[in-house]
Amino acid sequence: MIEIKNVTKKFGRKKVLKDVSFTAKKGEITCLIGINGVGKTTIMKAIMALTPINSGEILIDGEKIHKGSYEKITFIPDTITMLPQMQIRDAFVFMADFYDCWNQGRATELLQFFKLKETDRISELSKGNTAKVNLILGLAMDVDYVLMDEPFSGIDIFSREQIADVFTSHLIEDRGVIITTHEINDIEHLIDKVVLLDNGVVLKEFDAEEVREKEGKSVIDVMREVYKA
Amino acid sequence: MKRYLKLVNFEFNRFFKLYIVLIGITILSQIIGVIVESRAYLNRANELIYKELMLKSEFIEQYGTMSFATISRSLWFLGPIVVCGVTLLIYVFFIWYRDWLGKNTFGYRLLMLPTARMNVYVAKATTILLYVLGLVALQLLLLPVESQVLQWMVPSEFRTDLSVNEITNFNDLAILFPNTLIEFVLYYGAGMAAVFIIFTAILFERSFRIKGIIYGFLYCVVSLLLFFAPLFINEFILGNYFYLIEMFFIELLAGILVLSCAIWTGNFLIKNKIRV
Repeated sequence: MIEIKNVTKKFGRKKVLKDVSFTAKKGEITCLIGINGVGKTTIMKAIMALTPINSGEILIDGEKIHKGSYEKITFIPDTITMLPQMQIRDAFVFMADFYDCWNQGRATELLQFFKLKETDRISELSKGNTAKVNLILGLAMDVDYVLMDEPFSGIDIFSREQIADVFTSHLIEDRGVIITTHEINDIEHLIDKVVLLDNGVVLKEFDAEEVREKEGKSVIDVMREVYKA
Repeated sequence: MKRYLKLVNFEFNRFFKLYIVLIGITILSQIIGVIVESRAYLNRANELIYKELMLKSEFIEQYGTMSFATISRSLWFLGPIVVCGVTLLIYVFFIWYRDWLGKNTFGYRLLMLPTARMNVYVAKATTILLYVLGLVALQLLLLPVESQVLQWMVPSEFRTDLSVNEITNFNDLAILFPNTLIEFVLYYGAGMAAVFIIFTAILFERSFRIKGIIYGFLYCVVSLLLFFAPLFINEFILGNYFYLIEMFFIELLAGILVLSCAIWTGNFLIKNKIRV
């Protein structure tokens, strides 16, 4: 389980995260929802120790992040984290070189699924295909937790469908996923848990299935209630 | 350790094409320099001896013999050394910023590798050291080749042959090719300490952005003051109290202290404060 406990983060004098707390369990898809600039990406970066926090604590399976943690948690940001001049196969070699959890078989499977070629150069890929390569680099790791930052941002409808399909496949099953988005439609039916953020504060944290069954509300309905209140 | 070595290999390969270009420029420029300088000398000799009928001995007395000393002072020879030095100096900064600036977010990947982040820092420093030593080694290998070209070009009566050892003792080259172990430790140790100080200053900037530039600058000033403090104190306060060898060991200690501080601070920043 990923535990975010009373996390505060400031950029200069501006507080971007104010006492944020929530948890994300293994086997569940947790969605951080909020408009741009509410601190979704900052939370992701803070979990991965890519930005320091001012106070609070972040635990992954009860431990603070350390070098070994990167073998069980991965972050897929909204930009490619490989060198643009690399071919996709070079990126795979790099990953295999540095990560024990790299699963080449799964990478090849995903490459075929997304209809990409190993010899494609990253700098020459379209935005949608770059996002897919980024997704492959994250999902082809045998990790327990996957963090995805805006995987659908600026991507055409067909690529979105392909990426959304990944969420229902064995590639996601049993893993803990935290996904940020402000475009909920593509994955609303797949989400287990929702954390609504605004202005660096958690407005509401709820179980999507429970709300659907008990209150007959969709995630979007709850969002309307919370954000318009 | 394995991942550190892989990182060194990876970082080394990233600059390798440009490095080959630098090697090519050095070889071409210096060999051409030997030919051009030799021909210029011989042309002058031919003109004065065969057209103006000056005696050979008179010519040698007036213009001296041709030796590698002339070549080593030429732009053909020193130019590529300066180009390589400046390029590597720029790369000391670029080796970090290329992973952060513009659309490049490879910095994310480097910081998310399942290895101590310090390895990223040390691997980048090791790469710079390897590049520097590689170019120095190339120069050492080139000197006998260039001497041979000079011997082919200029007849022995107009030539003074110098050994590689004599050539590397010229003032301009003495820093690149130290004569003693003490000089080697002093020059290359100071060079490496400077690289680590710059790296740590860069990490200040990457951690605190605009404020970090000020922190980095102040950190560099403090490091330099600490490093040169024994020299200043000995010179201006103690009136040259210490012997040269004593000063060497005091400076060595100061250098080790500055280097340790740079590495410790760099480790702290890359582990706890850096942001992407």
